[in-house]
Amino acid sequence: MQWHDTGSFGMIFVIVLVAFILFNIYRAETKKKELYIRRIPGLNAIDDAIGRATEMGKPVLMVPGIGGLNAISVQALNIFAQVSKAAAQFGTPIRLCVADAAVFTVAQEVIRDVYQQQGLSEKFDPDSVRFVTDRQFAFAAGVSGLILREKVAAAFFLGEFFAESLIFAETANSIGAIQVAGSTEKSQTPFFIAACDYVLIGDEFYAASAYLTRQPILVGSLVGQDWCKILIAACVLFGFMVNSYQRTQTTSLQRMPWSEAEPEAWAQLTPEEQGNFEAVEVMKDTGTPTLVKKENTGLYRVFNPMRDRESLTVTREKKAVVAPLGGGE
Amino acid sequence: MDFLAQVDPRVNFWATQPGSVEMWLKILVGLVISAGAIFALIKMPTRGRRPVVMAFTFLCGLFYVLLWIWPSPLNRKPDEIARSPAEGVSFLLADTLPIVATITNILVAILLGLGVYSLIRLHGGRIIKRHADRGFSVVLLVSMLTITVFGYLDWGMRTFGDKEGKLLDIANWGFVNLGADLLFDGLLQQMDSAMFSMIAFFILSAAYRAFRIRSVESTVLMASALILMVSLLSAVVVVWNGNVTNLAAAMNVPLANPSIGEAGALNFLKISNIASWVTSFLQTPALRAVDFGIGLGALAMGLRLWLGLEKGGVSV
Repeated sequence: MQWHDTGSFGMIFVIVLVAFILFNIYRAETKKKELYIRRIPGLNAIDDAIGRATEMGKPVLMVPGIGGLNAISVQALNIFAQVSKAAAQFGTPIRLCVADAAVFTVAQEVIRDVYQQQGLSEKFDPDSVRFVTDRQFAFAAGVSGLILREKVAAAFFLGEFFAESLIFAETANSIGAIQVAGSTEKSQTPFFIAACDYVLIGDEFYAASAYLTRQPILVGSLVGQDWCKILIAACVLFGFMVNSYQRTQTTSLQRMPWSEAEPEAWAQLTPEEQGNFEAVEVMKDTGTPTLVKKENTGLYRVFNPMRDRESLTVTREKKAVVAPLGGGE
Repeated sequence: MDFLAQVDPRVNFWATQPGSVEMWLKILVGLVISAGAIFALIKMPTRGRRPVVMAFTFLCGLFYVLLWIWPSPLNRKPDEIARSPAEGVSFLLADTLPIVATITNILVAILLGLGVYSLIRLHGGRIIKRHADRGFSVVLLVSMLTITVFGYLDWGMRTFGDKEGKLLDIANWGFVNLGADLLFDGLLQQMDSAMFSMIAFFILSAAYRAFRIRSVESTVLMASALILMVSLLSAVVVVWNGNVTNLAAAMNVPLANPSIGEAGALNFLKISNIASWVTSFLQTPALRAVDFGIGLGALAMGLRLWLGLEKGGVSV
């Protein structure tokens, strides 16, 4: 065990990231000068897409992915609230198709509130927010059918997409709809890039609401994320140098599971003890110097601490046995 | 929850004889209170609802934050008592987790009901109003009803009427079991697969458009895709790599240095190694960078939602 085998570094690192974000939110709220955000073409295209839909008299389609109610779908709905705001002002019909019942209820409330805030409650069509199905490909078929039948003029695919992403994008492309897409699933981003007009890559998706609304809290949070990125990049650079040096050194000490290091002693343990000590690792002198392995580098150990036998040996008192209600045998 | 389980069962509100009138009465009272709370929330103006939603969000978020920050108990058995108040908190958090998960499942089930209601209202309305595409709505509602009826009948037969497990053998299946199997495995699963297989054609048409050389970016995309595609063609790989080996032999340069396990410069010219370099040194770092961005975005979003800092959109 070394001083850095504490297991708390990962948590401290995240707390530092959280502090960066919160500090910048505070800074943005108290600062009068507007913070700079670079241009994101995909988000600039929103107004053009809605304008085109208005001219054509066709609806705007929005799909927040097929994931459940989480940060991703909430962010997608935040963006769709802005899209719906513009659509409501122009009187353009909208279609918001969801694949999750929880997202559906939240989406319906969000869109209704947007229309209310614009003073256009009477124009809100409850059927514009639709729960299609929670099965992946049935949802893909349902949304594709809607795209083809209603000939949507603009399509926004923002959220958690999987294999169905290309079905949506190609179907919308086949009818000439303007498409703005973005997925947090990086495996789907290339499909969107291939098939859509504008794509939000990676954290641009999370930057969208700050970009569209310019609210100080959102912009501050975005600047905080940039600080975090700088810190991570510095850590990567530092880790690259330290690891590169360490990996060129030789050592005969190897970190390995206790069961592998001392198989005879391990075999003497009861199955229950083996379960308890499964995570135990030891440093064993193999006697043969070899290049330092990944699991023996300092940075790896900072984030993947070693557990020893003593720290996993816990003795506690047992509870008193209480007779179940209604008596027993 | 551990702290409740330690209370004397005779005075514990939560411990009730299973199947007793008292238990059903408590469930009924719970339902009435929940319905009342939901009704009050619906009737509350948006401004009044916001602090309530924020408070609940904060409490729920606090639970998961504590669960992550607080040290988790090591090698704990269900009948053990915590050694210290700090460990007691970790026991409590660990014991509360399944209860929170159950509450989440119940909420999701209620929301699914709302989703189904929306579906029926939308398509029922289309049929009643004689909408142009009402045929699709009829098919959807009939399919939904049929699969629900067969699904529940089949589940009921297997759960309550088949204690001996006879229905595990297909020979003992009746009309309902065969019908449920036909609808689910025979139709729904097959249609899912058919939809999935369509992606192959979409990939072709999307790739055709993406690979047209229109800009510097699309040229780079085209070149890297070509390298990776060629590296997967065994016949090309054998010929290409063979030529590199022959070139090294002709130049009398070693392809690799086995003593330190490092490749020589010429070894890099093998198509499989070029493809591997593109994947490991260009694609992987780029994806990691995207991962960092997405992770930080999710962290910031979660923080704003948890602390009620998000205004507009979802937190109107």
